[in-house]
Amino acid sequence: MSSATAPGRASRGTVASTGSLSGVGMAVKFILRRNWLRLAIWAAVLAVMIPIVYGSQQEAFPTQAARDAYAQVANTPAVAAMTGLPYAAGSLGGILVIKIWMTLAVALGFASIFLVTRNGRAEEETGRTELLRSAALGRHAYPVANYLVAGSLSVVTGLLISLLCLGLKLPTGGSWTMGASIAGTGLAFVAISAICGQLATTSRGANSLAVALLALFYFIRAGADLQANGTNPSALSWFSPIGWAQNMRSFGQDNWWPLPALLGLAVLGCALALRLETLRDLGAGILPERGGPATASALLANPLGLVLRLQRGSLLGWFLGAVVAGLFFGSVARAMTSVLDPNNPFAKSFVGTGHDLLDGVMGIFVLFNGLLAGAFSVQALAGARSEEESGRLESQLAGSLSRFSWLWAHVLVAGVGSAVMLLLGGYLTGASSQGAATGGAMAAASFAYWPAVLLMLGVLLFCQGFIPRPSTGIAWAVYGFSVMAAMFGGLFSLSENVIKATPFGAVPRLPAEDFALLPLVVLGVIALVLATIGFWRFRARDLMPE
Amino acid sequence: MSTNTQAISVTDLHKHFGRTAALAGLDLHVEAGEVAGFLGPNGSGKSTTIRILLGLLRADSGSVKMLGGDPWDDAVALHRRIAYVPGEVALWPNLTGGQAIGILAALRGGVDEAKRDGLLERFDLDPTKKARSYSKGNRQKVALVAALASDAELLLLDEPTSGLDPLMEQVFTACIREVKAEGRSVLLSSHIFAEVEKLCDTVTIIREGQTVEAGRLDALRHLHRTTVSVLLAGSTSALASVPGINDLVLDGPKATFTVGEEDLGDVLEALSRYSPRSLVSTPPSLEDLFLRHYGGLPLDPAAAKPGRRAHAHAGGAR
Repeated sequence: MSSATAPGRASRGTVASTGSLSGVGMAVKFILRRNWLRLAIWAAVLAVMIPIVYGSQQEAFPTQAARDAYAQVANTPAVAAMTGLPYAAGSLGGILVIKIWMTLAVALGFASIFLVTRNGRAEEETGRTELLRSAALGRHAYPVANYLVAGSLSVVTGLLISLLCLGLKLPTGGSWTMGASIAGTGLAFVAISAICGQLATTSRGANSLAVALLALFYFIRAGADLQANGTNPSALSWFSPIGWAQNMRSFGQDNWWPLPALLGLAVLGCALALRLETLRDLGAGILPERGGPATASALLANPLGLVLRLQRGSLLGWFLGAVVAGLFFGSVARAMTSVLDPNNPFAKSFVGTGHDLLDGVMGIFVLFNGLLAGAFSVQALAGARSEEESGRLESQLAGSLSRFSWLWAHVLVAGVGSAVMLLLGGYLTGASSQGAATGGAMAAASFAYWPAVLLMLGVLLFCQGFIPRPSTGIAWAVYGFSVMAAMFGGLFSLSENVIKATPFGAVPRLPAEDFALLPLVVLGVIALVLATIGFWRFRARDLMPE
Repeated sequence: MSTNTQAISVTDLHKHFGRTAALAGLDLHVEAGEVAGFLGPNGSGKSTTIRILLGLLRADSGSVKMLGGDPWDDAVALHRRIAYVPGEVALWPNLTGGQAIGILAALRGGVDEAKRDGLLERFDLDPTKKARSYSKGNRQKVALVAALASDAELLLLDEPTSGLDPLMEQVFTACIREVKAEGRSVLLSSHIFAEVEKLCDTVTIIREGQTVEAGRLDALRHLHRTTVSVLLAGSTSALASVPGINDLVLDGPKATFTVGEEDLGDVLEALSRYSPRSLVSTPPSLEDLFLRHYGGLPLDPAAAKPGRRAHAHAGGAR
C-alpha cells in the first residue's frame, strides 16, 4: 500500500531540513490516511446532533409562549449539574444549548483523548514510532502532526456545528460561539491528553489518566453550576476548561473572551507535552519504572489471579469511580428534587412518569450506576481480546489451560466486578441521600441492571466468537446506542415501547417504577444464549492474533 | 508414553486462511527422543504447523498426532507434556520476566526452582525487570527458561534463537544437547543451518506448505551430489566426456564438478587416468540441500527452474 511507502519517500524529500519538526507535513498525511474514516465519523455524528435535537425541540416548544413557560422552570439543579446552567431557555438557541451542548463538548473531549493516545502513546508502545523516527523524521514531527490532526477534528466539528446552526436560521453570534466553545473544549483535551501521553508509559494508562481528568473537570463545573447565583456559576467554574467553554454562553451573551484561554491551554499544553518528551527516552514515561518481583506469586499462577492482576489498576479506578459517583448522586438528590417542577416537560423526559419526583431522581441515578457498570464490564472483557491480539494468549494456551477456563476467568472478573460496582454505587447513593432512600433499597435497585450489563457481556462474547477482530468496537457501539436510547430516547422522540426494547431501557427504573421480573429474566436469557454461543464458537475457532 | 510412539506424526496436512493455502499436504514425523530440524523460508508454513500441533489452529484435513494424542481434542492434557517457545514472544509489559516465567511454568504444572535459577544464570537474564524493557533476545530468553525448566517430553521451538547473540546460542545448543541426553524430543524450526546441523538427527524441509525433503541428515546427503574439485597434470577438457560428471566448470588445470553417489566410483577411476595432483570432495551441506529447493545456488540446474511441480515431485520421490 502506498501508506507504507509514504514516510520513506517524503522523508527523503525533506532531508535537507534537519530541525525537530522536519517531516511534519508527511506525518500529518500519514496520520490522516490511517484515521480519516474515524475522524469523519466523529465529526459527522457530533454535528448531525444539531439538526436532530433542534427539530425535536422546535416540536416540543413550537411557540414563544411555550418557550417562555419553559424558561420559568428550566433552571433546576438537575439541569445545572448535568448539562449546565440554562441562561437562555426562552429561545430555541438557548434550549439547543441546554439539550446538547454538554453532550457534544464532552464527546469531543473523549474523541480528542482517544485520538491523541491512539496516534501517540499507542504507536510508541507498539514500536512503530521507533521505526518512523529512524527515518529522517524530526523528534517532534510525529507528535506535532498528531496534535494537529486531533485539533483539526475539533475545528472542523466546531465549524460544522456553527454552519448547521446558521443553516437553521439561529442567531449568527450564537451560532459561531456554539461551534467555537465546543471546538475549544475539544482543543483543551487535545492538550490534556498530550500531557497524559507523556506521563504514562502505556496507551491504557494515558487514556485512563486523561478520562479521569475529564471526569474531574466535569464534576468541578457541575459543582460550580450547582452553587450558581441565578444563572451565573460560582468562581469554581474557572477551575475547569469545560467551565471556560460554558462561559462563552452562546445564544446568551456570546462571550468571546474565554476562547483565548481555551486556545492558550491547547497551545501551552501541547508545548509542555513536547518539552516533556525531550526529557524522556523513547518508550519510557515520566512516571518512573520500578523493578518487580523475580518470581510469580501463587495468585498469578492461577488464570483468574492473572486477570485480576492485569486489570488491577483498571478495577481500582472503576470501583473508585462508582464510589465517587454514588456519593455525589446521593448528596445532590434532595437538593435537586426540592426545586424540580413536576410539570416541567424536560424533567418529565428524564425523570419519567412516576408519581414521586424524588423517586424519579433516584431512578435516574440508579440508571447512571447501571451505565457505569456496563462500561466497566465491556472494558474488562475487551481485555480478553487484547490478550489474544497481542499473542500472549498463545503462550498461555500452549500450557495446560483450556480455552474455556481462560475465557471464563475474564468473564468472571467482568461479571462479578460489575455486580460489585452496582451494589457499591447503589448502596452509597442511598446511604448518602439524607434519608431519600435506604442504602439497601438503592443497592437492590442498582442490581436490577445486572442482567442488562450481562447482556453487554453476552454481545461481546458472541462477537469474540465469530468476529474477533472488530468485536470490541462492535460491543462499544452496542453499548453506546443502548446508553443513548435509555438516557435520551425521550429527547429523540423514541416511543416508550422502543426504549423498553433496549437493554438499559428495559430494566424497571426503581424506585420510580414498579419492580418487574420478566424484563430481567428476558435480558438474562438473551445474555446467556449469546454468551453460550460465543463460548462454543471461541472453543472451535482458530486463534487470531492481530 | 512409551518410547516407541512417534512424538509427532503429521500426514497430508492442509490448512487454508481464506483463499490462501498455508499448508498443502505437509508431512512431518519426529520419533521419540529425536531432535528434528524444521526448515523452510518465511511464510512457508512452519509456524502454522506448530500452531496446529498446539491446538491453536484447527487443521482443515490430514492426520495430526502428537505424543499419541489429538492436538485439538486433547490440547489441555497434551500441553502438560510439552513446552513451546514462540518465534515472537509476547509478554505482559507491566509484569516482570520472572513473573512471566512463573505464569508460563505454572500453566504446565509447576516449576523446578533449582533448574529455573540455573537457567536464569546461564542465560544471564534479570528476572526483576519489567517485560516492557526487554529486548527481543531477552523476551526469547524468558520463553526459553520457562520451557527448558519444565520436564516436558516434547519441546516445540519456533526459531528460538533468532534474537540471541552467539554466546547465548552456545548456551542454547548445550541445553538442547542435555534435553536430548535425557531422551526427550525436540522440534526445532530454524533458519540457522549450522545450528540444525549441530543439533538435529533428522531434517524436514518445507516449501509453500509442502514437505520437499525429509529424513536423516546423513541419508539426505547421500541422495545428493558431492562437489569435487581436482587439479590435473594434463588437460582438463577431456573431463567433459566422462559419464557421471555434471556441472563441470573448467579453470585452466583446475576443474570443479558434481557427481552422484552411485557414479562416484566410476568417476574416480576415470579421473586416475588424467594424473590428478590434488582432489577435494565436499559433501552437500544442509545449506546446499536447502537452497537447491529455492533456486539460490542450485547444484542441479533443473532445480533452478521455478516450476513448482518439479519440487513437489522431488519431495515425493525421496
